[in-house]
Amino acid sequence: MLKLHNVSKSYNWKPALKQVDLCLSPGEIVGLFGENGAGKTTLLKCILGYLPFDGEITLDGHPITRANIARVSFATCEHSFFPNLTAAAHREFYELHFPAFRSKRFHGLMDFFELPANKALRHFSTGQKNQFEVILALSQGADYILMDEPFAGNDVFNREDFYKVLLGILEPSETVFLSTHLLAEVENFISRAVLIHRGRIVGDMTTQELEDSGRTLMGYVKETYQYKSDRVSKALSDLTGERQEEL
Amino acid sequence: MSYDRETSSAKIHSQARDAGESVTRGIGNWVPPGLDHRQEAKWTAWAFSLSLLYSLRFFLALFQARDSLFLQAGAEKILDVNAVMPDFILLLRDSLIGFPMTALGAAALLAYHYFYHFQGSKSIYLMRRLPRRLELVRRCAALPLLTAAAALLAAGLLLALYFGIYLLVTPETCLSSGQWDKIWNVLR
Repeated sequence: MLKLHNVSKSYNWKPALKQVDLCLSPGEIVGLFGENGAGKTTLLKCILGYLPFDGEITLDGHPITRANIARVSFATCEHSFFPNLTAAAHREFYELHFPAFRSKRFHGLMDFFELPANKALRHFSTGQKNQFEVILALSQGADYILMDEPFAGNDVFNREDFYKVLLGILEPSETVFLSTHLLAEVENFISRAVLIHRGRIVGDMTTQELEDSGRTLMGYVKETYQYKSDRVSKALSDLTGERQEEL
Repeated sequence: MSYDRETSSAKIHSQARDAGESVTRGIGNWVPPGLDHRQEAKWTAWAFSLSLLYSLRFFLALFQARDSLFLQAGAEKILDVNAVMPDFILLLRDSLIGFPMTALGAAALLAYHYFYHFQGSKSIYLMRRLPRRLELVRRCAALPLLTAAAALLAAGLLLALYFGIYLLVTPETCLSSGQWDKIWNVLR
């Protein structure tokens, strides 16, 4: 179990995460949602140890260190691969550093997405780069797969394919923690939704609970963020009014 | 084109494949993955060659100084018994400066190796979460440190060699005392 207890993080005294408590159990597919700057990326980076923080983050009761870091993988829209290396060279590198590397899964996904093995990644399209980033995260052999906007730049068909493949290949012990803006797309893919707003967890519900309460994920998000549905029409009306006055 | 059946693009992208082949073996295991270490090796070889070439100016000073120890008597040259050979360290001047400069360049290379992980992607994220704690440091620092050490060693060896030659070509009566001390004073 990946557990965050009272995790806080500030950038130059400006709080980015405020006393975050969260538990991710094996086998869950958790969506992390929030507006830009809400703290999604900061949260993932704290889990991975990239950023210092206050509080406690444990993996099965132990702090995340070099001893257990291989159990956590990371796919980011910023990409964490080596642009000058080929896919085949990445496999070699991962096999050396991550003994649980899933070679069969890697080959299967490479084939499925028809990615070339011997072409340097810098020559890939943005969509292909994203695909490869996620393939690496899924093939590392990690129990907890963290993804930060991994499909930014992929077309809708591509993303659909990925969700289906993910659901098909994930083992019961594998947990996915996915930060994304694509609410509607992941609604049928995730098992739980965590909402973050200005560094605080403001919502945490399983999709089963949402279903039982007759709400959609989008509805739940709008409700939690107190989204004002008349905001756009009001703004347009104000602008139009201004224009009329000007005329 | 499938992962297994790919053939023609392998030839087209042979350079990338070369980088891939060596990423966990040989010299490729000691530099950031995908770095063009052959290019770096070429630059290092150039730096060493130029440093060596520049150091040869010592011999120009040495033989000019040696010539001035002799007086011309007709067709013959006779040693001036009152002449004193300039100190070794004065003749050497900055002839070996290329080597410490190469060592400094190697330090800059270390910084380049680190920032390489921010070029085109954030591969630093991967390097920082590898189970092997020193992998990032090892790959960034190994070759620059080796280059710096080799440059300083080369400077030391050439210093000893040139001093040996200085002693060999200088007539004993023209040699001033305390040469080692003078070298040591400069090195300190």
